[in-house]
Amino acid sequence: MPPVPTPESFRQTGDHNRPVITFAVALGDRPGRAYFGCSDFKVYEADLGAAKVEFKELHGTHGSYVTGVAFAAGCVVSGAYDGKLVWWNTAENRHVRTVDAHGRWVRKVVASPDGALVASVADDMVCKLWDAETGRVVKELRGHAERTPTHFPSMLYGVTFSHDGRKLATCDKVGKVVIWDVASGNQLGACESPGMYTWDPVQRLHSIGGARTVAFSPDGTLLAVGGIGKIGNIDHLEGKARVEVFTVADGRSQWVFESDRYRGLVNKLQFAPDGSWLLAAGGAGEGQFEFLDVAAKRPKRQDKLTMHTHDFAATPDFGTVVYVGHNRVVVHKPA
Amino acid sequence: MPSPFFCGSDAHRVSRRGFFGAAAAAGVAADMTGLNVLGSPALASELRRGQKRVILLWLAGGSSQLETFDPKPGAPTGGPFRAIQTDVPGLQISELMPKMATRMKDVCLIRGLNTRNGDHGSGAKLMMRGRRDEPSLRYPDLGAVVAREMGRADSQVPDYVTFYTQTEGRSFAPGDSGFLGARYAPMELTTNNTPEFIRRLDSITETDHRERAELRNMLGRDFVRGRTSDALGSHAEAYGRVRGIMGSERLFDVSQESQRTRDRYGPTQFGQQALIARRLVEAGVPFVRVARAWWDSHGQNFETHQEMVPELDHVMATLIDDLKERNLLNDVMVVTLAEFGRTPGINASLGRDHFASAWSMTMTGASAKGGAVWGRTDPRGQTVTHEEVNAANLFATIYAALGISPHKNYYVGSRPIPLVDPGAEPIEALVK
Repeated sequence: MPPVPTPESFRQTGDHNRPVITFAVALGDRPGRAYFGCSDFKVYEADLGAAKVEFKELHGTHGSYVTGVAFAAGCVVSGAYDGKLVWWNTAENRHVRTVDAHGRWVRKVVASPDGALVASVADDMVCKLWDAETGRVVKELRGHAERTPTHFPSMLYGVTFSHDGRKLATCDKVGKVVIWDVASGNQLGACESPGMYTWDPVQRLHSIGGARTVAFSPDGTLLAVGGIGKIGNIDHLEGKARVEVFTVADGRSQWVFESDRYRGLVNKLQFAPDGSWLLAAGGAGEGQFEFLDVAAKRPKRQDKLTMHTHDFAATPDFGTVVYVGHNRVVVHKPA
Repeated sequence: MPSPFFCGSDAHRVSRRGFFGAAAAAGVAADMTGLNVLGSPALASELRRGQKRVILLWLAGGSSQLETFDPKPGAPTGGPFRAIQTDVPGLQISELMPKMATRMKDVCLIRGLNTRNGDHGSGAKLMMRGRRDEPSLRYPDLGAVVAREMGRADSQVPDYVTFYTQTEGRSFAPGDSGFLGARYAPMELTTNNTPEFIRRLDSITETDHRERAELRNMLGRDFVRGRTSDALGSHAEAYGRVRGIMGSERLFDVSQESQRTRDRYGPTQFGQQALIARRLVEAGVPFVRVARAWWDSHGQNFETHQEMVPELDHVMATLIDDLKERNLLNDVMVVTLAEFGRTPGINASLGRDHFASAWSMTMTGASAKGGAVWGRTDPRGQTVTHEEVNAANLFATIYAALGISPHKNYYVGSRPIPLVDPGAEPIEALVK
């Protein structure tokens, strides 16, 4: 394994203005190639290694915000708030298929480590596993309540595969996390992170927050959940950026990080290739990234990003990290 | 489905009130309905006018017109929601409102509000009163005016009831009778769905309570003999109203409704309060405000509306259906209104901010013309391009649709005070 970059070594190498909000990013099978899901209902492609970076429209077949993209089997698989998944062959630049995947907003689309499966989660509270080649449903995983305890619709925000591809985790609005066995579709366990969810029964009578993202450690022993801490005034994303780490074996909470520096959502988490640190990114009116020392259970580096960050994607060695969000795409590389 | 108690005739309409009065009297208060008034032909036309009532669904904090009644799908400002066709040809509303989409033929929609005030406090006052206070004159709000115009002198149900159970924004728009005085001030419910402090004290028996009232009446009659004074009449009326209001507690009790009806309105606080509002207007309360706070979605606008608009859609549709089935929709106007709408621009927290330049409201029932749409906004929803409406025009239209002349004057001392700002006219096209 090549040496893992230190948090301190990352420097911004690109900052691209965009006329849209970018909700999702996936890296392709060629160096520098990235795909973006955006608020204009379109999917874009860019070569971030080019001297002059251009964002080229790949397709505009969705009917709402494109909030998930994954690269598998030679295709960009995109999911949107229209409930559809679209397979687009990038080498031949052609539409492969569109699937009516979910009854409600698709929140996230990820590919399994071997690229054979694609997982999608949506506000119908179902996680679906798809054969990346054929587009057929392989499993439907149901373990999240459709309604919150106060009778409002819940939301299923996050999904991730373990590094060996054998487990899957999903997370929802009220902070429930379910761990699944990919082969059987059975639940292996669940844990709760209720600190991610604020229901205001007195002042405003609605909710905000939720567990937005999950990540397995490379050895599969830890599961990190990201979101936002309790919020006093839920008109704004005023809570502290929050990460809670559980042990996969027993679902016990090991530690909770609430940022002393930044407020807002943690929208994406990913462990370092050796598991030594955890990268969290998100934001509110502005954006931030925070590297957390897993062993010491404390932040190693906390910094601003130029925009509220909805997603990031990294190469396996973390040689490149692409952050996307409100009207910008930012690239970091280790020095 | 027509009510089994109502054939649609004026005579029966009066009888129907008598029915409810009698039903209420059986278990509530012997003096609640003033049946003697119903027996007077001379007062029949006055009563018909007086039957107009209002339920105001106050969307406190400012709901988004783009996620409700004026969607802009596909525009950079449009957000993620689609628009769906309604039962009015050419009219689309947000996909978050599928139930209302099949009921828009009953709804009068104004999309051209430009009220020029994006501040919660002063905006709420403006949209509750239709005008700005003067330094030395506090105007009555819509509820107080409707209470004054539609309430009956002998009525012993409250004239103006307001629910505002959430705390956020409550102080921005309290019910306010302004210069009309305490007689038309609202009964405010802020902690639960039943009025506090209207129950007889446990330490006083019902017999004691009644006998005290009889003694007071006897002494009062002896005292006023040979005297004439408005103050004396007001004093006696106030006692009578208090006793009536004490007897009205059951109107707030949704357990008096069938389980089916309660289920129709749904389990949420908003739904239950809307059901109580229907019970109140049915019993003759002229004005009920049900405030649903808090829509101020500076962060996560779409998720907030994803959570709250379906509830509004359900409650509004259920209320309209229920009123229609009870043949009350010609007499009861359901208004949805807020202090302002929300910006077309989407901020970095996926929120929308305060916006009063191009937003929407609805009127359903009474003489508001169903299926009418007034006002048009540009493709991004940033400006009103046709048929702009300000607060004064809006209030003139509401009053006109309730049969109240907006040009009527009240008097503060000898100064005539018109109901709406001088020069404001109702939008005739929206009034049947």
